Order: sequence, then C-alpha cells, then structure tokens
Amino acid sequence: MIRTFLALMPADRRGAMGLHLALTVVSVILRALGTVVLVPLVAALFGPEPAEAWPWLGLLALATAAGWAIDAVISRIGMDLGFALLDSAQHGVTDRLSRIRLSWFTPANTATARQAIAATGPDLVGIVVYLLTPLLSGILLPITIAIALIPISGPLALAALIGVPILLAAFFGGARIGRHADRVAAETNSALTERVVEFARTQQALRASRRTETERSLVGTALSRQHGAAIRVLLLQVPGQVLFGIASQLALLVLAGTTAYLTVTGTISVPEAIALIVVIIRCLEPFTSLAGLSAAIESTTGVLRNIRTVLDAPTVGTAAPTDSTDRAPAQIQPHPQAQLHAQDLPRTQGQSRAQGSAASAPAITLTEVAFRYDPDSPDVVAGLDLEFAPGTTTAIVGPSGSGKSTILSLIAGLQEPSAGRVLVDGVDLAVLDATARHTLTGVVFQHPYLFDGSLRANVLAGHPEATEQRIDDVARLARLDELLARIPGGWDAEVGEGGTALSGGERQRVSIARALLKPAPILLVDEATSALDTENETAIVTALTDDPTPRTRILVAHRLGSIRTADRVIFLAEGRVIEDGTIDELRAADGRFAHFWREQDAASGWKLRAHPSA
Amino acid sequence: MAKRGFNGAIMSAFGLRDHEAEVIDVEHLAPNFVRVRMTSPTVFTDAEVGPTAWLRFWFPDPDDPDFEHQRGYTITEADPEAGTFAVDFVLHEPAGPASAWAESVTPGTRVEVASMGSTVFTLPDELPAGYLLIGDSASIPAINSILEATPADLPVEVYLEEHEPSDRLIPLSRHPRMNLHWVPRRGDSSLAAAIESRDWSDWRVWTALESGSLKAIRARLKDDFGFPKSEITARAYWYEGRAFGKMRGEKKDDTPAEAAAESTSGAEPSPASANASPTSPNAETPAAPKGSWRANAGGRLIAPLKATLWIAGILQAIVTLVELAPYVLLVELSRQLLTGADSATLWATGIWAVVLMGSGVVLSAALLFWLHFVDARFERDLRRRLLTTMARLPLGWFVDRGSGRIKQLVQDDTLALHYLVTHAVSDAVQAVVAPVAVLIYLFVVDWRIALALLVPVLVYIVTMYIMIIQSGTKPKQALTWAEQMNVEAGSYLAGQPVIRVFGGASASRFRSRIDEYVRFLTDWQRPFTTSKTVMDLVNRPATYLLIITALGTWLTVSGSIDPIDLLPFLFLGTTFGARLLGIGYGLSGLSTGLLAARRIQNTLDEERLEVVERHRAQVDEKDTAASARDASRDSHPAPGLVEFDDVGFAYRPGVPVIDGVSLRLEPGTVTALVGPSGSGKSTLAALLARFHDVTEGAVRIGGRDIRTLPGDELYTQVGFVFQDIQLVQGTVAENIALAVPDASEDAVIDAARQAQIHDRILRLPDGYDTVIGTEAALSGGERQRLAIARAILADTPILVLDEATAFADPESEHLVQQALGRLATGRTVLVIAHRLHTITDVDRIVVLDHGRVAESGTHDDLIAAGGRYRRLWDAREITSATAPRTQGATR
Repeated sequence: MIRTFLALMPADRRGAMGLHLALTVVSVILRALGTVVLVPLVAALFGPEPAEAWPWLGLLALATAAGWAIDAVISRIGMDLGFALLDSAQHGVTDRLSRIRLSWFTPANTATARQAIAATGPDLVGIVVYLLTPLLSGILLPITIAIALIPISGPLALAALIGVPILLAAFFGGARIGRHADRVAAETNSALTERVVEFARTQQALRASRRTETERSLVGTALSRQHGAAIRVLLLQVPGQVLFGIASQLALLVLAGTTAYLTVTGTISVPEAIALIVVIIRCLEPFTSLAGLSAAIESTTGVLRNIRTVLDAPTVGTAAPTDSTDRAPAQIQPHPQAQLHAQDLPRTQGQSRAQGSAASAPAITLTEVAFRYDPDSPDVVAGLDLEFAPGTTTAIVGPSGSGKSTILSLIAGLQEPSAGRVLVDGVDLAVLDATARHTLTGVVFQHPYLFDGSLRANVLAGHPEATEQRIDDVARLARLDELLARIPGGWDAEVGEGGTALSGGERQRVSIARALLKPAPILLVDEATSALDTENETAIVTALTDDPTPRTRILVAHRLGSIRTADRVIFLAEGRVIEDGTIDELRAADGRFAHFWREQDAASGWKLRAHPSA
Repeated sequence: MAKRGFNGAIMSAFGLRDHEAEVIDVEHLAPNFVRVRMTSPTVFTDAEVGPTAWLRFWFPDPDDPDFEHQRGYTITEADPEAGTFAVDFVLHEPAGPASAWAESVTPGTRVEVASMGSTVFTLPDELPAGYLLIGDSASIPAINSILEATPADLPVEVYLEEHEPSDRLIPLSRHPRMNLHWVPRRGDSSLAAAIESRDWSDWRVWTALESGSLKAIRARLKDDFGFPKSEITARAYWYEGRAFGKMRGEKKDDTPAEAAAESTSGAEPSPASANASPTSPNAETPAAPKGSWRANAGGRLIAPLKATLWIAGILQAIVTLVELAPYVLLVELSRQLLTGADSATLWATGIWAVVLMGSGVVLSAALLFWLHFVDARFERDLRRRLLTTMARLPLGWFVDRGSGRIKQLVQDDTLALHYLVTHAVSDAVQAVVAPVAVLIYLFVVDWRIALALLVPVLVYIVTMYIMIIQSGTKPKQALTWAEQMNVEAGSYLAGQPVIRVFGGASASRFRSRIDEYVRFLTDWQRPFTTSKTVMDLVNRPATYLLIITALGTWLTVSGSIDPIDLLPFLFLGTTFGARLLGIGYGLSGLSTGLLAARRIQNTLDEERLEVVERHRAQVDEKDTAASARDASRDSHPAPGLVEFDDVGFAYRPGVPVIDGVSLRLEPGTVTALVGPSGSGKSTLAALLARFHDVTEGAVRIGGRDIRTLPGDELYTQVGFVFQDIQLVQGTVAENIALAVPDASEDAVIDAARQAQIHDRILRLPDGYDTVIGTEAALSGGERQRLAIARAILADTPILVLDEATAFADPESEHLVQQALGRLATGRTVLVIAHRLHTITDVDRIVVLDHGRVAESGTHDDLIAAGGRYRRLWDAREITSATAPRTQGATR
C-alpha cells in the first residue's frame, strides 16, 4: 500500500511529502506536550494553591494553538498531495492501460482496471488528510506521550512504553484476524455466489430439467454447505472483534492500578496521581480514533490494490512482465532495448508505412512463432513458419480453438509472440513502436466494437483525412449504403455505446468500412461466426475482392463464400498448420479441409424435417 | 445594496451567489397569473434544472424600496444553454413583494436571483402504483413539471385547492391518466376531507400547500390511509393570514420554498375544467382501507427478527454503559485517593473494575456470537425462500434482470441484511447510547462545562452545513460523474483492440474526459480545504481539553467547583464531540440494511406462476364449449397435442404482443413460426414453455391448460432448445443427465451419440467425467450438441426450438443440424424460423404479423397463395440480413 502510494506520488511532490511528515511529527510532539503539561496543571488544581495552574494553562493554550497552526498547514499540504495523487493516478492508470498486453484483459482484470479508473477519485483525494495523517499521529502520539512521561514517573512511563506496543499489536492483530475471517467467509460465499449466478443464468435449463426445487437443486446443496462454513467462520470473526477491546481495557486497568500502587506506596503525591490518570486516558485515546480508521484503511487498501494491479500489468514491448513494478507510472516506459521508434529506423518499409503511404503490399513472415497467454498456460500456437506473399489473400480455416484469431492478433501487433518473430517486409514487429506497428494493419474484428458517436465518426476512425469519394467507396464496398439509406440520420446516426444501437451485422459492416478506409498495407479480417446475416458475407467478399488498395490480406474464414475469395488456404488445427495450398489443391488432397468443405456444403442446404432422411 | 435582513445575512454566510436576471417577456396566462421570462447568463452555473426546481429571487419591498425580500419560485421554462428561464406568479391583493413586482414588471427590469436548496423531482427506480399530487394555484407550476415527468401509463390523481374561482383558469399540463379534482377551500381541513377514501397502496404523494391545509393533509395521508413517511414529499409554500408584504424578511422560514400566494378576492367565478369533480368537504367519508406499501416491505421481512433485534439492542445498551463504567470508577478511585482511603477500599474499587470490564467483554462477545448465529440461520432460510420463489417466477423475469441483478439480490442484499442483524443495530444503539449517557453524566456533574463542550460541536455542524449548501448540486454531479466514468472506462477497456489499431481520436477523448473528471473533483473539493481543516481542528480532543482545563481552572480558582468534578470531563469530555457526531454515522448502517430488506421482500412478493386448480382455469375461459371439449378430451388425452386457444399476451397492459392466436399442433408434426422480428414468434414459442403466462385465452397440451400443470409435470412434456445454451458447472455426464439425474450410463451415451457429440466427449481429458468449464472449454457447436443430447435424454413429447441454433457455430454446423434433426424426430415441434429455406419441408408454416396469425399452410400452399409468405420468400436475402439482433429467446 505504501509502495503504491509512493509510486503514485509525483517526484516533484517528494519535498512536500517530507515536509508533511516532519510537521506531523512536530504536531504530535506538541500534542504530547499538551498532555504532559496536564500533570502540573491538574496537580495544581488539586493542590492547596489552584491558582498555580494558570501558567500551566497558558502553556497548554500555547501548545494547543501552535498545534492548530501547524495542523492547518499539514492539512493544506495534505489536500495538495491528495489532488496531486488523484491527477497522477488517473493519468498513470490510463497511460498504462493503453500499453498493457491485450492478453491481460481477462474479465477479472478488466473489472479491476475499470474500478481503478472510475471508482478511486474521491478516495485518492482524501488519502493523506483523512487516512495517512490521522493514522500516523494515532500511532505516534501514545508512544510520544509514554516517552514524555519518563521524567515525570519512571515506572508509569515504563508500563506505558510496554503497554502501547501491545495495544498496537492487538489493534492490528484484531484487524488482521477480522480480515482473515472475512476472507474465509468470502471464499465460502463465492462458491455459493457462483451457483446463484448459475441458477439465474441457467434457469431455463434447470426448469426444463425440473431441478429448481431447493432440495433437488445444485444451488440448494451449495447453500447448505455455505451455512455450515459460515458457522465455523464465526469462531474466527468474534475473537477478532473483541481482541482490541479486551487489550485496551486491560491496559487501562494495569496503568491505573500502577498509579494507585505508586500513590499508596507514597512514590507520588495524590494530586500527581490524579493528573497521571488523566494523562493515561489521554495516552489511550488515540486508539479510539485508530479504531475509527479501520474501515477507511480497508477501502483505501482496496483502491490502491486495484491501481497497483493495473500498474503491474505486463505491457507490450517489455521483455519481463514484472520488471516495471518499482517505477512510478509517469516514468514507466517500454523496455528500452525493445523500443525503437519508427523515425529512428533506417530507411525501411516500416518508416514509409508509418507515414501512411501504402504504395505496395508487404510480405509477412512468421518464423518459429509460438504464443501462449501466460507463462503457465499451454501454447495456443507453436512452431508456426508462414510466409504471406505481397498482395495475396489467404484464408485461415480450422476448428474453433485452433489459434486462427491468434495469428491475426500477432500480425496486427495486438499480441506478441512468446517465441519467434513476426516480420513485415523483413522488419521485426518487435522493434517498431506501437504506433508504427498499428499503422501497418487494418483489422475487422470478430466482435467489432464501435465508439459512442456517429456512424461517420466510427468509419473515419480508420483514416480521419480520407476524401469524401473514398468514404463513399468504402461504404459501398462494405454494403453500408443499404444501412445508410435506411437508418434515420444516415451518416450522422448515433451508434450508441459500444455500437448497441445497431444490430450485430450492421456493426460488422461499419467495422469493415472502417478497416477498408484505413490506408494500411495489411488487411486482417476475422469473420463473424454468426451465419444469419448473408449481407455480411457479401460485404466481406466484396471487401476482399473489389477493394483497389494494394494490400496483403489475411482472413479467418468460416464460410465457403469468403473462402472462395482466397488465393490460398491454411488449415489450422491445435495451433499448427495441417494443410496449406490453393482450394483446389486441398480439395484434391481429400484431407481435413476437403472434409470441412463437404460438411459446409451439406449444411448450407439443410432443412428441418420431422423425419430426416439422414 | 439593499437591506436584506437576517435572511440575507444567512444566505451570504452560506456563500450564496447572486446572479442578475433581466426580464425579457411578461405573459398573462390567466387572470392573476403571469409568466415572467428572464435571462441570466450565469445563473445556471449554480442552478439545477428539472421538475420542481426553483430559484430564490430578491424582490423589493413595495413600501420601502431599500429593503428586499427573498421568495422562491418554481422554474417553469428553462434553457440552460441560452441562460433563459421563466417563473409563474399568482397575483393577489394585498400584494406581497413578489406579487407587486410581478404585477408591474416590464421587460428590461432587473432582479437578483440565486439558487440554493432547490430540489428536483425524480422518478424512483421502482415506479409507484401512481402519483397523488396535491396543491393549489401557487404549486401548479411545480405540479405541471411533475406531470410532464411522469410516465404516460402511470395513473395520477391531482387535487387542487381552489382559493379563487379564477384559479381554475390557470393552465395545467396534460397527462393521459390524470384525474383532476378542484376543491374549494372552506378551511384547513376541507381539502384533506376531499381526498378520496380508497386503497392507496404503493402510491406516492407530492404536495405543496398553504401551511394549515398541509397539516390536515399530512394527518389524512398518514393516519387515514397509512402512507409511509418515505412516500410523501410535502412542503408548506405559504401561510394563510400572514401577509408576506408586511414581513420585513426577518423571518427565516423553515420551509424550503415559499411561493407567495395570498388568498384574496379577485376574478369572477368561471366554469371548471372538464373533469373537475367538486367534492363536498362535509360529506361523510367512509373509513379508508389502509394500504400496504412496498416501501414498508423491508419491515415485513425482518419482522421475525424483531424480538431478537430488540433484545440485542437492550443488551448492547447495557454493554455500552458497562464499557463507560471504568471511567466512573476512575473518578471514584481519584476521590478515594484524595480522601486517603485505605487499601481495602482501593482493592474493592479495583475488583469492581475487573468485574465490570470482564462482564462487559463477556457480554459483548456473547452478544456477537448469538447474533451471528441467529443471522446465519436467518440468512440461509431467506436465501432458500428467495431461490424457491425465483423458481416459480416467470422465466421472463430472469431475462429482464440478468444474473448480475439476481446475484445482488441473493448474495449482496442478504449480506447487507447480515450486517443489519449482526452489526447495524448494535452499532446504532452504541452510537446513540454512549454519547447520550456521557452527555447526561457530564451535565449532571457540571452543566456549565458541559454546555461549553457543545460549542465546538455547533461550530462543526454549522461549518458542515455551509459546506453542504455550497456544494449544491455537486454531490449529485459527482455520482453522475462516477457512473459516467464507469461507463466510459468500460468502453475504453472493451475498445482496447480497436483503439490500438485505429487509435487516435477515441483514446484522446477518454483522456480529456479523465482530465475533466479530475478538474471537477478538484474544483469541488479544493475550496473546502479551509472548512474541512476548521471542522477537524475544532473537534479534536486537544480543543476540548483546552476548553475543559481553561474553564476548570477558572471555576476552581474562583472556588465554584470541586476539582474532583473536573475529572469526568477530563476522562470523557475530550472525545465527547467525536462521539456525538458519530451518531449519524452509526445510524447509516440501518438504512442500507432496510433498503436491502425491501428489495428482497419485493422479490418475494413478485407474482409467481401459480399452478391453478383445474376447474378455475376452466372458469376463466370465455367459451364454455371449450371446457366441455376439454373435459371430454381429458378422458382421451393425446400426449403431444398442443393447442393455442385464442391466446393473447402483453408485457404491459394495453400493448399486446400476441393477440388472438389460435393454433393446433398435431402430435408428431413440425410447425414453423415465421415473421419479421417483433412479430411475436419468439414470444409465442415462449408461452408454450411457460416463460410467461398468457393474458388471454389458454395454452393446452394433451388437452390440459398448462397453468394447471405443476412445473414438474409441464416440463416432462415440453422441452426446449434455444440459442442461449445453458450448461451448469459439473461433468459432461451430469449436464446431459440434468433432467434425469439417475439415468444409466448407457442412456447418457446413447443420447450423446444421437446428438453427434459422443466422439468429441471421448476426446476430452476425462471423457464423460470431464468438468465443463474448468477442465475443458467447449466450442459453441459442442455446447449446443450437449444441450441437444440433454433434450434427447429428457425425451419430452413436445419441443420448442429456435432454428438459429443450427447456425450459431459454423465450425460444427453440420453436426448440430444432424443432432437437431434427430431431436425433432417423433415429437411435436414448434420452431422459431429465421432462414426460410430450412423450413420448406415442415408440416406447417405459420406466418405471424404484429402478434396475429397472418397466414398458415405448407410451403407450397403459401407460395401458391402469393401472400405475405410469398413476399417474405421472394425477399428472403434481405430479411435474413436483418435477422434477429439478439439471441433472446423470449422477445
């Protein structure tokens, strides 16, 4: 938590941090002074001459006023630091997100990242003022008071010096036990949660299977199990909640007892004893405020943990995923050796392409390429040696999970090979920076994502400077003209968040237009699996055949229509190339592809009958 | 600067900013009713616009132009972009400052205006059964804005108090389901008496009236009808008999808005608006039935725990007092030391302390244990009840909500209840009892010092209040920002691949949004640095200590206090402020828990799909002959026969999705439903699977109304396979045998074979014992075939099918098709068809249009008929392009 906090704090605020810390210590000393002054003050009040208390009261007033002044400064600095933290965290997280490896974006990580951006602002602003400052003084104050007691009453100071660490231990120990109990409870709950979500998600199936009655259902079993576990967790929860209470009451008892003993034995006078009891209570008081902070500690730790998770995520272009953890986000850079800006390249294709010219289509070469999502998981593709000749159209075919889309991601530079190299006209993609890499490719994603905005803005994202003529051309090629004629507002129609105002097929066609408009020398198309939209099929076929831009095209294909447009077919299974050749060659070879071809052919003529002939 | 009295002083203390507005137009909408349009370029930087939002105006005193009065008026028109707005004035005699100003105002006149404390009417997430709006001429502008914000299908009852016959000429907004009642005022209670005696269950009230009438209305609503407080929004807008014009603004009004509208004579009587119903205020009204409100549902849910919570509260109060006891004992100890007590007395005190502390600890631990234990049982039973209820809700309920909402209900809300039971009540009791006990103790010991201790608390509260006022709409905006950032972050994350490839604009847009958000938070919070510091400093122990010692020294020196009486203050007084201010925080847990309780109880109260007694279902039918047929068929049941008998269905009353559909599916035949999306084909199919209950007619299988069949019996007869494949966590075999858990291994394997999935299963790591999801990821087509295997094993005579299933996965389309063909064999099949060429061979095609059967027959018949089907067939390339947008099987 501290580590993340420090990493987020901009370098130019380090001085302010130091000042803040120093002033907090001064403030604590002043408060301790104010407490210790109580000894002569209270003693005087209980003594024969109460008026002797006046000078001490003056001193107390002075210490308190000085404390106010310093604390006002502390809180101003603290707020300042909070805003600096907010700014740096929000930007740090956003910057980092744009460079994180795509494979990192699992649903869980995506949810965390979302939290780290959207739900942390107010917490970050208050982190110094409402958490760090009170936490620090809450811990330091009792210790300082105990030390200040030494010249007044040695034995009592000793008791306090022993007692305070024990109390702190009890406080943090109790919180730890509580957290542990909560974690155990959360674990037992999560099994149930999964079943509950399943119960809701699969209600149709469960009902059709008559498995919804609690006695017969899976969720009912999970519920009974959770109940048993919850009772066991109780034995953990309650001690955590009462531990600190016991400790602080004991401390009060021991310290007051010691004072009484010292008085009875005549070591200290009665007025002194009373004054010391007052001081003891003041010494224990900060713990009350610490107890009040535990909820804030909990939530802030969560906030910082989310941010940490994002900041620690592996970025594109860094060799080792975790080597950036000690760097502040503002300073996090891709690995220096792996980083080479397009401008720094000698005259290569990469340079000219980075500037948007697409005079000729490039050759794409994969050598010994392997990819896995993380070091522990199995290879998705392995040992790929592929050569895509300039200007050709290649269809990649194969069963689901065979790694087809992965090849496209690797060429698009969205994923990086875990072994081997991807070369475009001889230039390794790994030496290009992200911008240069992405200039090379236009991609039609399988699940196209559109941004909230107009149709036009979404298509123009491919090439903001495109001419009207060109925009009209791609709209026609992508079969978007039909949609434009139908939809109210035409080009200016809003597509909604994520494109939800359009149907899946319409989104697909917008995304085809977007990719065609981009003057990239490589076009990668991941065909949608849904077969209901024939218009899309046509759009993909025309996009691949009628587009005049010289490009090297690679298509992940599911349908015969689009496969037919390809010069060459690669049949992929379990991450390896099984067959490779023209359609005719592969059909003649009568292997996996030929089988696939026949099945597809049969499927397209399928009819539902009550008494199938097959 | 005009004098603005105490009111003005308060306003400026709150940091209220005045904006200058210039009158641009004055329109007389009715006798004694004018609309004044104004422009102020800056006012909307402060003011929020929305129904019932209002502004504060400073009007000059008619007699003394040096003096200004503040009056609140509802915004009736607003264009924040242009900075223009309008407010309506009721003119009356004798005129108050506002009325006098409005009467003589001309374009070009300037007036100062400010926004503070205005509230905007918002519809709750859960709509009430209706809105009861009660007002008079002064609140008509606000009522109009509410009427415009209220959904057209929500009933609205409007009661207006008539002070002047001309009041009826004031224009009212229209609402299709509004009932308007004008009630001439005959005293404070005449309007209240006119409110119809009826069951107002789940209605909400908005009312703004003259203070006396309002008091009577409140009593009527609460005592006679049982309206819960949470369902009433009430304001006093003005006071009868107090001429505001004579008030010099010294009165700080405790009502949020005060639209001046004194009642006096004026215009002539005029005919009432069309549907006004003059109600006699003196009429004997029968006792109104007390309604029940969903808002109170939470209380019902935790009713069984009431006794437990009471006991817990009392025990907690005792524990809290016991925990304070050591401080009292310390005072006692000090006293004993001072009086030189012997060691036996000291020991006795020590033992007392140990006993008290020990029993406090034991008691609180026991209390915690007991509550947790009670709660664990309650929680389990509650979840069980919830799940059981859900199992009987229409399947459409789940489609509407999604698993996230349901998880919140079963998991998060029961957890919030857990907090309510185990902690919230104890926390609240502790938060209240401790400061109150300390307060009483300290006041008893010495009221002077105790009183002084309240000063910092007061400073704290005032500072906080000023901050809240200055924040204005910012907290609300902050919530909106947080929501927006959540959406935008989600979109930024989901769009990462696209952003990286197509980059540029979309990424920078998000960045600038982040900047704006950071700027918003900074602009909002930074000015409060000083206030927050003041709040912190004034309320810390050191401050209290200084007050106590200073006063204590003075009082001791002057001899008016025994120093021993200072000790309670030194022991307990320093944290007094923190304790007192903790009350609010301690109570907040209660409301969270009660809100959760309310959601849960409302789910438990949802209308379930009940199994109707057979004779009742028959009585429901219009056609007695049908029930006669029914009875006769009962003796010769034909399993697999499906009849839709004049079926109608509507998600919302008055908007039928299915309308008068009668169909007979002969056993063993295949019927295809065809039609453009929105034609109701999915809904009709869903009715057969009883996702919803028909609102008209009946669906019968084997001659029996499906509503008379218990769920278990229904689903032994009807099975369905939709695009959305639902597998549960478990092994492949468990999934196939979901409906027949005790099926033999051979039966499972046979079903898998027929569904073309057997070979694939054998290739899984553990064959049929492979756990789906964790050990093996199945492709879409494989999951579909698994679901088909499940349906084959369940072996229902009737099957509802979505043809799109066959095309959802191109990789194994062929196998899925074969499996589907096998599944359809020998059953009565109702298929939702998207691709016409796949259903050309079925026994019958039914073309639906707007929920009605347009045509039906075989493919050849329909082609020959040249009707709607023929047109669909000829245009099928185009229709298939606009095929279903979602795979939702029910709509």
